Amino acid sequence: MGRVGRALVWHELLERTRDRWVVVISVLFALLASGVGLYGRSAEVDVAKLTGPSLVTLASLLVPLVALILSHDAIVGERERNTLGLLLSLPIGRFEVVIAKFLGRSLALAAAVGLGLGAAMLVSEPEGVRALLALMGPTLLLGLAFLSLGLLISSVARRQVTAASVVVVVWFGLVFFFDLGVLALLVISDGGISQQAVTDLVVSNPAGLYRVQMMRAFAGPEVLQELGISAGLPGAATTWLLWSGWLAIPTLLSGAMLSRRKVV
Amino acid sequence: MREIQARGLSVRLGSVQALDDVSIRLLAGRAMMLVGPNGAGKSTLIKVLLGLVRPDFAVFEADGERVRIDNEWKRHIGYLPEAVAFSDNLSGYQVLRFFAQARGVERRRIGEVLERVGLGHAGRRAIRGYSRGMRQRLGLGVAILSKPDLLIFDEPTAGLDQEGLTVLWSVIDEWRSAGRMVLASTHDLALMERRVDEICVLREGRLIAQGSAEDLRHSAGLPHCIWLEVDPAAEAKVALLCEAMRKWGKGRIERVGDRIRAEVPADEILEVVEIQGGFPGVVQGIRVEEPTLDRVYDKLLGAA
Repeated sequence: MGRVGRALVWHELLERTRDRWVVVISVLFALLASGVGLYGRSAEVDVAKLTGPSLVTLASLLVPLVALILSHDAIVGERERNTLGLLLSLPIGRFEVVIAKFLGRSLALAAAVGLGLGAAMLVSEPEGVRALLALMGPTLLLGLAFLSLGLLISSVARRQVTAASVVVVVWFGLVFFFDLGVLALLVISDGGISQQAVTDLVVSNPAGLYRVQMMRAFAGPEVLQELGISAGLPGAATTWLLWSGWLAIPTLLSGAMLSRRKVV
Repeated sequence: MREIQARGLSVRLGSVQALDDVSIRLLAGRAMMLVGPNGAGKSTLIKVLLGLVRPDFAVFEADGERVRIDNEWKRHIGYLPEAVAFSDNLSGYQVLRFFAQARGVERRRIGEVLERVGLGHAGRRAIRGYSRGMRQRLGLGVAILSKPDLLIFDEPTAGLDQEGLTVLWSVIDEWRSAGRMVLASTHDLALMERRVDEICVLREGRLIAQGSAEDLRHSAGLPHCIWLEVDPAAEAKVALLCEAMRKWGKGRIERVGDRIRAEVPADEILEVVEIQGGFPGVVQGIRVEEPTLDRVYDKLLGAA
């Protein structure tokens, strides 16, 4: 990455960490996470049984929201403020702008995730910290997947308000309603859908993949079996492949779209 | 750079021919103004030069050498977009620091630029507290930060207060006197006229006139307005003078209070002076008004 790209990464980090919405949701995440940590400590239950799974639920709701807020205006916001042309008048390629924006906002996301999970770790029993540390990587991957998705939405949308509306729909859809949809499908099909298809559907959604991955780590495969998700869970390689796809494909599509545009 | 040429610029956007075989030539020490109604192609032309619009056809030359609109080219250009709005969350200093880092400009230049655009006192304040004019001046600061060979302004006077206009004029003068180039698109002809050396009139993607303000006035062929201040005590002679000018028949003559207004072609002005010379003591003063550039512009657009 060239000088302009590197400058843009740090500029994006600075600008995002000063966004009030990002700060508010991040602080809310940190407060709720520390609340979960405190509750787990007072209940004197193994971290893997209570604090960990509770944090997974919390993170699967709030981290995608932080990521989408961070990224939804990346391109369309610059266009509306008349600064996209100014940015692209610098000696930098269009694709590199998208990558630099993704990296800069990823750092801001990492700070938000670190703040939230760090707060939970601070108030948890010292022996449970290692278990909670294992949450850090997958939670960041979850956020990055949604960040990438937000970047794509930002490249497609013509107005920032449209991008904001679409990310809300995406957040509700993937975080809340996707599992309900799978459940509804199972009921409607009256057992006509195989266990494998259900599992594949669940892990095709980054929020579902995260929950399955973390449930398996904290509660063990038997809990997933009780939930009806047991057949053909993705192995480590497939899991990494799925995460890589969610991270790379929307970002690359976003870069390709901006690069191919005749008029910026 | 001493000279930039863009030849045969053609851009088709959907069903619209945004630019149709437009050629311009920018010279060191000179400022060029692009004028034309909305949709004339001014912004498209600017965006082509910035690499923001890909032309269907174009040839670019710098100092006689063929060049491409690439990152090397962009190093020579500073750009002020129309109504630029930087992030409210940052300060003016932070915005300039980013562009300084991106362009490899020394940090001490940031302070110089903030002072230059009259934001020395507000540099550390969040942009959300800036007025529209201050934001535009910050954009001007971004454009001049790296002392580029070519400054490109898109509607630079929009939103600028008197202080901002003064800064803008001084920047244009500085660039011209330093042997650099300025290209500005504007609707504000009257304001910009005296600040530029050359004017390009665009309409529906075509270049319909090009030259200095004088050249355009001449090519438009609009009459000049001559005001003759007359002695109110010599009413009879004034009436005779009016009569003589009407008989001359080369322009429109009318009496306006204690003055005679004559609209005549530019090359007949001396004739009017000679006619009034035949009525000694009647005329106490003569004032000649050139046609305004707005009228010239309307005429050129009307004729195109």
